[in-house]
Amino acid sequence: MVKIVLTPEWFIGKDIMIEVFSVIVLMIFVILAYKYYKVNHKRKIFYLGVGFGLIALAQLATILTKLPLYYDFGPANQVGEAIVTSNLASSVDFFYYAGFFFHRFLTLLGFYMIYRLPRDRKSIGDYMAVLYFVIISSLLSKEIFYIFHLTALFILILTVEKYAWIYKENRFFNTKILMLAFSILALSQLAFVLSDIDILFAVANAIELIGYSILLALIIRIWKYGKKKKPYGDNIRYAGNSAGKKRKH
Amino acid sequence: MEIISDMLAIVQGKNGSIKPTHLMYKANLSHSQMKLYLEELMIRNMIKKEEIKTGSMIAITKNGRDFLLKYNQMREFEKTFGL
Repeated sequence: MVKIVLTPEWFIGKDIMIEVFSVIVLMIFVILAYKYYKVNHKRKIFYLGVGFGLIALAQLATILTKLPLYYDFGPANQVGEAIVTSNLASSVDFFYYAGFFFHRFLTLLGFYMIYRLPRDRKSIGDYMAVLYFVIISSLLSKEIFYIFHLTALFILILTVEKYAWIYKENRFFNTKILMLAFSILALSQLAFVLSDIDILFAVANAIELIGYSILLALIIRIWKYGKKKKPYGDNIRYAGNSAGKKRKH
Repeated sequence: MEIISDMLAIVQGKNGSIKPTHLMYKANLSHSQMKLYLEELMIRNMIKKEEIKTGSMIAITKNGRDFLLKYNQMREFEKTFGL
């Protein structure tokens, strides 16, 4: 007997709302990345968009899988409330496993892409090895649910460490916000590891919501910055009154 | 692209129009460089030349403002992710 969903009965629906919110935030990142890619044609920006897009698709996969399961329509008719209330299922449709598998697989792949992007050295071997572990984690999580969350936690910790280095170099406040958002998402994965305890499932979801809200705040900050009037842009060539200070030779 | 965005930012910073010589000085470009960039900007409809009593002025267009906005946001985005 395997657990399909760990959602406590009293939390049903609320988790979907949090996932819808995260899809919206992630899709905004995808749209922005594509918009900026069209301006400068930098592949890294494009792949960043793909990374966020994969996580958005993963969230969408889980929403589409949970909806019939929670609200008793479509493939859920045969299984019904029993799955949710007792967390047990003897013969469960392929639909659910496929849906949750894609959720795990795409989430891990998306997080890995975001982690890997600022690096310069890349090899096909690296990608293949990671793809292998992502698939193994996604498959194994069918039986041992926390394998997926542990893998996501691991990738997110590496991502936070990466952005800590970037912040050390650029001292840019937005990078600090990004680091904070990923730290909170990592914390949510830690809570998800223990989410077979009802209350911790809700706590994990709430932490995840905070993480995505911070990402949304970051988008607003980036968007607002573009509107600020910068008389001399970012230019290093400006030869105004304090030319000596601004020029880099 | 950075030079183009800087030129646009300078024009915008001067309430949307500036004398060509001032732009050349502020953007720290040579005459030939500036001519080249101005042509490029005019082809892309980001700036336009306006004739006034004392000579000509370079003015930023809506296209130019939109580009500058997008460019600033893009730079912020890139910097945030260390790209």
